[in-house]
Amino acid sequence: MFRTLSRRTLTGVAALAATGLVLTGCGGGGDEPAALDTEEQITLNYTFWGNDDRAARYDQAITAFEEKFPNITINDTFTDYPSYWEKRQTEAAGGGLPDVMQFDYTYLRQYGDNGLLLNLEEYFDNGVTTDAIDESLLTTGKLEDGTFAIPTGYSAWSVFQNPGLLAEAGVEPYEGGTSWEDYNTYMAAVTEAGGGTVYGGTDTTQRIQDFELKLRQDGQELFTEEGELNFTQEELADHWKEGQENRDKVTVPQSKLEEINPVSGFGGNLTTSEMSWSNFLGGYLGDSGAEEITIVAPPTSNPDEKDLYRKVGLMQAASSSTEHPEAAAAFVDFLINSPEVGEIFGATLGIPASETQLEGANLEGPDKAVKDYLDSVEDRIGDSPAAPVAGFGAIEQTFWDLGKSIGLGSVTPDDAAQQFFDEASVTLGN
Amino acid sequence: MTTDSAHAPAATRTAESGARPADSRRTGAPRPRRRNGDTIAGYVFLSPWLLGFVGLTLGPMLASLYLAFTDYNLFTAPEWTGLENLTRMAEDDKFWSSVRITLIYVLVGTPIKLAAALAVAMLLNYKARGTGFFRSAFYAPSLIGASVSIAIVWRAMFSTDGPVDGTLNLFGINLGGWIGNPSLIMPMMILLAVWQFGAPMVIFLAGLKGVPAELYEAASVDGAKPWRKFISVTVPMLSPVIFFNLLLEMINAFQVFASAYIIGSGTGGPGGATNFYTVYLYTRAFANNQMGYASAMAWVLLLAVGVLAFILFRTSKNWVHYAGDSK
Repeated sequence: MFRTLSRRTLTGVAALAATGLVLTGCGGGGDEPAALDTEEQITLNYTFWGNDDRAARYDQAITAFEEKFPNITINDTFTDYPSYWEKRQTEAAGGGLPDVMQFDYTYLRQYGDNGLLLNLEEYFDNGVTTDAIDESLLTTGKLEDGTFAIPTGYSAWSVFQNPGLLAEAGVEPYEGGTSWEDYNTYMAAVTEAGGGTVYGGTDTTQRIQDFELKLRQDGQELFTEEGELNFTQEELADHWKEGQENRDKVTVPQSKLEEINPVSGFGGNLTTSEMSWSNFLGGYLGDSGAEEITIVAPPTSNPDEKDLYRKVGLMQAASSSTEHPEAAAAFVDFLINSPEVGEIFGATLGIPASETQLEGANLEGPDKAVKDYLDSVEDRIGDSPAAPVAGFGAIEQTFWDLGKSIGLGSVTPDDAAQQFFDEASVTLGN
Repeated sequence: MTTDSAHAPAATRTAESGARPADSRRTGAPRPRRRNGDTIAGYVFLSPWLLGFVGLTLGPMLASLYLAFTDYNLFTAPEWTGLENLTRMAEDDKFWSSVRITLIYVLVGTPIKLAAALAVAMLLNYKARGTGFFRSAFYAPSLIGASVSIAIVWRAMFSTDGPVDGTLNLFGINLGGWIGNPSLIMPMMILLAVWQFGAPMVIFLAGLKGVPAELYEAASVDGAKPWRKFISVTVPMLSPVIFFNLLLEMINAFQVFASAYIIGSGTGGPGGATNFYTVYLYTRAFANNQMGYASAMAWVLLLAVGVLAFILFRTSKNWVHYAGDSK
């Protein structure tokens, strides 16, 4: 990993030296951005996180873009999610961010508010077409000073199941959308039938999304409007304690999950179900090698409450220090709107936010299943939470790490809750 | 004042080398013109290294010294907070757990590694066929040991039903996988470190070659058994080499990163058991964006290792014997 980093850093330094001149030229304000030059040979760096499946799709998309814009060459690199952000932080500090990046809503505020991202609003209807993008999705990329990222699509929290493994275990699939007791019974039945090789699921209290789901089922949010934690240390400890019975007897042991990391228990065929974002379907099919994966609604304690929401996950953004903002905007536009990209990616970057792309996507098979799922839970979808606070990425990771540690028995839920609050208060700067 | 007596030989020497004595007397240090040219040339030849040192080592070090007293999140300008990072560190449980984990690794791992290196070096010191091959074979792990791929291979070896677990099961020992078990991951990390004993082994081997054979002969004449010879001849004669290896390996062990990062998936897992000092520092810096805190941690580590090295040097007076010592 360090080799790619240093090479990128070097090009970053060169790019920085060059952009110093460009910025002084462009920084005059008010001017209309120049139209895209189709003569000049341009090379853009692009980076994304994901697995091999996603990389193959990006390769196709880039080829299609380069055919359309023969003077632009895209250099792409990819890593897994945690190291992706570690690298971007270093580049952000050094001024060497790639020209265009796959971006995450979680980090939007941190980068956008610090002037690191290109204001795409300047290119709206002048390089970036926004007509086809759902207004509510487009505004997720908007901060006080402009629009700094455009969502590729959306997803919602869901329960995935592996019918092949379930058939082997001889257990009926979980029907979805019923009570937590039902889901727990289902998991216990699979674990019992699995004889220590297959389990019913993964600890359903481990991730911050699990907690958020339960809070929303009680009509509560994770954060206040002011961006402070909207729950108490005791509530968090209780949440983790609720999972204890499942951790002891039902869900896959955390020690087994540590061994197959970064593949999840479901992806590694250790469990018949797992809760995650609906756009994970493609990745799960790749990781597990399963022929079919089904998707149903998460259990709920309160069927009348609108506990789910359309989550904007993946976005595309450009660096404010790019030497070729017009070309970068053109590439973002292509990734967001083009029907070809829709066809290549299907629903693996979420159900496409842009109508033109959605039409091109021609959803079928697993992608259709995701779309059908999202349509089926329409009644449970409520307002999205406010844009993630700066530092949410770190908070999310801390929550998950502590959840895993509880699973290993190396920390008690009470101590973990204490640690989480200590950590969050530093991150949120209280 | 001893100036006169100190200058006398200097003056004689410069007179012999043909420079003007008056010049050397005035400056107090004899520096003939030709030597000045050499000095400049020397610095010119040194400049690539010097530039690298100032630009890539000294500069960043000074910057991190400044950052250690600030709150710096990489995105906004550093904010001076004085000693706050240090007081936070004192109250940070995860910091102390990383200190404890690292100390266990250093204090248990280093002696075992050196003992293994010395034992193998002594075996290889026998004149027998094929020692050249064995020397290379034992050194090989150290060549590849720090690489990412080895850490990945070890991950696989120590997983549930992996080769290690499988072998132990044959003997009726059912520990399960080591990778996901917080209490077995440290023994595995130490094993990985010990396995890479090649570098100290080669140095020990060179040291063993330097022990005069007549000392062993004399000991044999006095009726010493092998163990006695080892304690009374090998160890004292080898003590400077032991000291050198101990110092170097201790400093290296404090800085273990790559293997811990890969095996613990970069998050100190499982359950924080691979949350080594450097891994925690890295997490603070690059995952949590707390560059100031991380810089403070880096300086605390530097000072702590410095103090330990100083203590080692002080104790060395009592147990390290240099050839030609009057003791």
